[in-house]
Formats: sequence, C-alpha cells, structure tokens
Amino acid sequence: MIDNLMLGLETAVSPENLLWCFVGVLLGTVIGLLPGLGSTTGVAILLPVTLTFDPVTALIMLAGIYYGSQYGSSISSILISTPGDSSSVVLTIDGYQMARKGRAGAALAISALASFFAAIVSLIGLIALAQPIARFALNFGPAENLAIILLGMATIVSFAGENILRGITMAAAGLLVSMVGVASGFSTARFTFGSVNLLSGLDFVAVMIGIFAVGEVLHQIRRGGEKPIRAGFRDLLVTKEELRRAFPSTVRGTGLGFTVGVLPGAGATLATFLAYGVEKQVSRFRQFIGKGAPEAVAAPEAANNAAANASFIPTLALGIPGSGTTAVLLGAFIIFGLQPGPLLFQQEPDLVWGLLVSFFFGNLILLVLNLPMAPVFAQILRIPYVYLYPIVLMMSFIGAFALGNNMFTLWIVFFSGLLGYFMKRFDFPAAPFVLGLVLGPLLEKYLVQTSALGNGSLLIMFQQPLSLILTLAALVALAYPLIAAVIRNLRTRRADAKQRETVTH
Amino acid sequence: MNTVTAKNPPRNRPEVSDVIGTAILGVVGAVAAVMGIGYGLSVDSGEVGPGLLPFLTGTFIFLASVAEIFRLFFARVGTSGGRIMSAVEDIEATAAESIDSASEAVSASGDDVDTFGRTEKQRNRAPFVIFATFGIALALVPVLGLIIALSLAILFLLIVVEKQKWWTSAAATIGAAVFVYIVFGLVLSVPMPTGMLGLI
Repeated sequence: MIDNLMLGLETAVSPENLLWCFVGVLLGTVIGLLPGLGSTTGVAILLPVTLTFDPVTALIMLAGIYYGSQYGSSISSILISTPGDSSSVVLTIDGYQMARKGRAGAALAISALASFFAAIVSLIGLIALAQPIARFALNFGPAENLAIILLGMATIVSFAGENILRGITMAAAGLLVSMVGVASGFSTARFTFGSVNLLSGLDFVAVMIGIFAVGEVLHQIRRGGEKPIRAGFRDLLVTKEELRRAFPSTVRGTGLGFTVGVLPGAGATLATFLAYGVEKQVSRFRQFIGKGAPEAVAAPEAANNAAANASFIPTLALGIPGSGTTAVLLGAFIIFGLQPGPLLFQQEPDLVWGLLVSFFFGNLILLVLNLPMAPVFAQILRIPYVYLYPIVLMMSFIGAFALGNNMFTLWIVFFSGLLGYFMKRFDFPAAPFVLGLVLGPLLEKYLVQTSALGNGSLLIMFQQPLSLILTLAALVALAYPLIAAVIRNLRTRRADAKQRETVTH
Repeated sequence: MNTVTAKNPPRNRPEVSDVIGTAILGVVGAVAAVMGIGYGLSVDSGEVGPGLLPFLTGTFIFLASVAEIFRLFFARVGTSGGRIMSAVEDIEATAAESIDSASEAVSASGDDVDTFGRTEKQRNRAPFVIFATFGIALALVPVLGLIIALSLAILFLLIVVEKQKWWTSAAATIGAAVFVYIVFGLVLSVPMPTGMLGLI
C-alpha cells in the first residue's frame, strides 16, 4: 500500500499533473456554479480538450472537474437558490436561508470545510477499499461479472424514487441504444436501418454531450435563466458555534455519503437528500433545520463529496460507474485505451494511484481557493447567461467533432440534445439511461461468454456460489421495490374499501 | 354517496406528457423486441445469439411501459408513503419550493418575464428556436465549414433571438470562434471541416 501511495505521489506531484489538476478543479468550480452546467456536463464538454494529454494527466484534470464542480454547485445553491448540479439541490433550503440572513459567507465556508473533510475521509476509504475489491474481483468469471452488472443496474431501480418503473425503463432504453451497430462477437448489424454510419454504433460520449450539455443548457433556458445574487456578504467569517454545530453533521454526512456512493446507480444526489433527512431526525438542533441551520448545510455537502469519491470504487475496481459523471469518466478511460476494472490496478498502477493521490491535492487546492474566494467566484454568476449558453453549445458541438472527426458525431449530439431536453423537461431520468448505455456492451459481452461457458445455458450463473449470491442479490434488488410498490398499492385499495364500508354502514 | 367519494384517496391524474413519453418507450421496446427475433435469439450451437439481448430488453421496455401507463392511471395518490425514498421525495419537494419561492421573489419585482426578458410563451419556444438554429448551422457545415457555421449560429442567436447589441454579439462570437480555433484547430490539431469556402 505504502509503495503504491509513493508511486501515486510521484505521479501526482509532477508539475504538469499539478498544473492540470489545478486547472481541472478551477474549471470544475466555475462550471459547477453555473446553473445548468453540472459535473457531468463539464466532464463531457471538456473531455475532447484532453485528447492530446497523457492519459493520467487527462484523467487527473477530468476528475478535478468532477469534484471541483461539487464545490462550485454549492455556491449557486447558497447564493441564488439555483442548484448548479442536482447534488446541491438540497442546499437551496438551509444554505439559501443562511444567505438570506446575511450568513452567506459562513454557509459557503461551512460548505467548503465539510466538503474538504468528507473528501479526505472518503479518499482514505477509497484508497483502502478499491484495491482489495479489485483484487477480489480478479477471481470473477463471466458469470460473476454478468451478475455484478445486473446487480449494478438493479440498484438503480431501488433508488429510482417513486417512479421505479420509469427509472428501470430508462436504464433498459440506454441498454437498447448501446446495441446499435455490429454486436461484439457477432457479425450481425443491429438497429442500423441501412446506415453505414451506425455500423460502428453510437459514440456514447457524443450521446452524453448531447444529453447532458445540450439538453441541460436548453432546459435551463426554458427555466428562465439565473436569478441575481440577493445574499448579503456581511459577516464573512464562520463562527466557532457554527463550526461546533456543523462538525457532527459533517461526520454523519460523510459516513452516509460514502456508503450510498459505493452503490452503483445511487449517486451523490440521493446521498445529499438522505443526509438532510437524517439530520432532521437526529440533530440536536433539528428544530432549526429548514430555517438556515449550519447542520443542514454541512451534512449534505459532506455526503455529496463523500459519495462522489466513493463512486470511484465501483468504477475503478469493477468497471461499473457509480454515477452519471463516473459513467462519462469511464468513457474517457476507454477513449485512452484503458478498461477500468480489476486488471487496471495491476496493469496501470501509476495511473490509478496517481489519480487517487491527485484527489488529495485537488481538494486541498479547492479548500484554499474556496475559503477566501467563494464570493469572488460568485461574481461569475453575473455574466449574462445569454452570452454563456451559445458558447457552451458551440464548445459541445466542436468538442464532439474532435472525438469522432466526422459530421455524423455532430448529428448524434444534436439529436441526443433534443432527447436530453425532453427527458429533462418531462422528468425522464438521464442517469439510468446513461448507465445502461455504458454498461450495455459489457453486459452483452459477459452474457455471450457465460452462455458459451454453459454450452448455451445461463443456469451456470446459479451453479457457482459467488455468482449465485450475486445473481440472487440482483434479482432481489430488482424485484423488491416493484413488489413492495404493488403491495403498497393493494394495501391502499384495501384501506379504501374498508373506509367505504364504514361510511356506507 | 358524495361523502364516500370525498373520503377516497384520489387516483393519480396522469400528465399527458408522461403518458405519451411512456407510450413512445413502449412502442420502441416492442419494435426492438420484434427486430431482436429477426437478428436471431440463439446461434446454431444453442448459445446466445445477436438478437437475444435486444429481444429481452425490448420486451422488458414494452412490459414496463405498459405497467407504467397502468400505474399512471390507476395508482392511488400517496401509495409511496412509508419508505425511505418517500422521505427523500419530501425533502426534494421542499427544495423545489425553496427554488420556486426564490424565483417568485425575483419575478415579483418585474412583470411576468424571466431574467432573459422572456414571457412564459417565449420561454417555451426558445429551446426549439435554438435547436433549429443549430440544426440549420450543422446542415450548412459542408458549405461554410464547422467554425464559421457555428459562429453564425451564435451571432444569429445573440442578435436576433436574444436581442443583444450587435457589437457585443459580434465580439462574443469572434472571441468564441478564435478560442475554439486555437484550442481545437491549433493545439489539438483537429481537422475541422472547412466546407466549400475552405477558410477555417
């Protein structure tokens, strides 16, 4: 472990990597605080810019954009009650209330400190867990890999909110889109409708740029642009009392965020809502929550950053993205010819450990930048969105062209943008769609391999103890929320019937 | 009898968009399942064929969409209570209220226009105008080249759609064009299509 960390340190502290880490977190902060541009959009738009970099430098910068935007998105939530990213939606409650009371500076400081604490603790967890999991996953055969992907997709369902069916349907739709083109291991062209351009499939990074960059920006335009800053900056310094109140919440948020973040598909947004909910139940000052309580800023912020780091565990160790943004990052790995998964730790130790150690420096830079300069960053919110969005759209199209060097990629971005806009407008979740899109080729590869191992029978998945446990877990995770929803509905109907009987008697 | 109906928890009144969106997904699933059968569910040796996953996924999407439409029409309001996720949804709703109340506070200061100066009707139309503009720009790439076509799209949006001053619009457009030319054209050496004009 120490050797690996030293190797990572050596890679991370090279002047070039430190510089791009700094650029990444700075750009991430700016992107995060702009409404309509979240971490996924930021990584998707800027991925093409890193094409000529060394893979490790590119990934350090892209990861920097990811966690940098977690800090940035909190700024706009606190100051203008407009979340820069879905993971900071919950901050619009107490963060904004604190700002309205003239405690914007304190809210921003608590947010930055909680983020830093959570990032460092979760980084230790990430470093401690990722390699053992990867080592364990080396024993996986196709059946186990197939089961683990199914389990990953099933967890999306469990956390899809009220609309479980819609979540899983979107994941399946993403899976379907991933099947366009000639299937790996076969010579049959699927869903190409005679188009030569579709033979090699749809470039999923282009689809993501369309959905997350074009779709989100246009949705923001429909929402009506950002609001002016109304928060006061008097009392910039956080008080001792506020820090004392925020600390236990930060610890709770970190633990919860890390646990939720490890699960594929659950993501940071859910972690923030759960952390807020827990504070409402257990905090000593729960009566102040909703009215500008530091606990309700610290806990979700900590959960957000802990979950973001934790989502790298399934991504790096198993090759299964834990969130929408890690799905795009997984695309970046593939573009650089790397396959995240158990073998990555053996084949590219300097890259993996360099990336992980860079998280420490990135978060340190973010803390140093954010503590004194958050109000300065906030001035970016004064740039009129009318100038910003056309340029973001132009960057999205040209960036996508750089990925594929063909006009067809541009049309993929265009139509995915249209799809993304409608998905956002009508609440069809994008994250399960993207996870389906990314996991599709892997799922099919392991399905074909498992079938070949079992001479055509997939029952082999139930014959090995490990694959049996994983498959059953996937089935339970998939079936439980659906069955529970049906039972709840039946119970409500029974209660209705009883009520009707009492009233008529 | 009126009392009885009043005491019943109401059924969900589905949004038209939900029903249409789910129905589209259902049709896509059904078509994919049929096409999957055409690709072959298994190969000669009895192993998984190229059509199996499309068939299974398509069938699943179709069935899930049918179930979702059923749920949209027949599920009772409040059936999600008592779960962890329902607590999450409550917090989500509170946050949405907070965001909305902040917007209302701002819009109350002016008329019914947003910070872009658009009315709700214009706001609904704006994304489509922008889409159409970029669609036309992409269609013009073979003639004008990528950077010029997209720059003209930006200029059009700023001057005509956003009604900005022409010189600030021109400055922003030229700035953006120069930036992408330097980053993508010069630094990343991306071979940008220059179109029939052959300029940049």
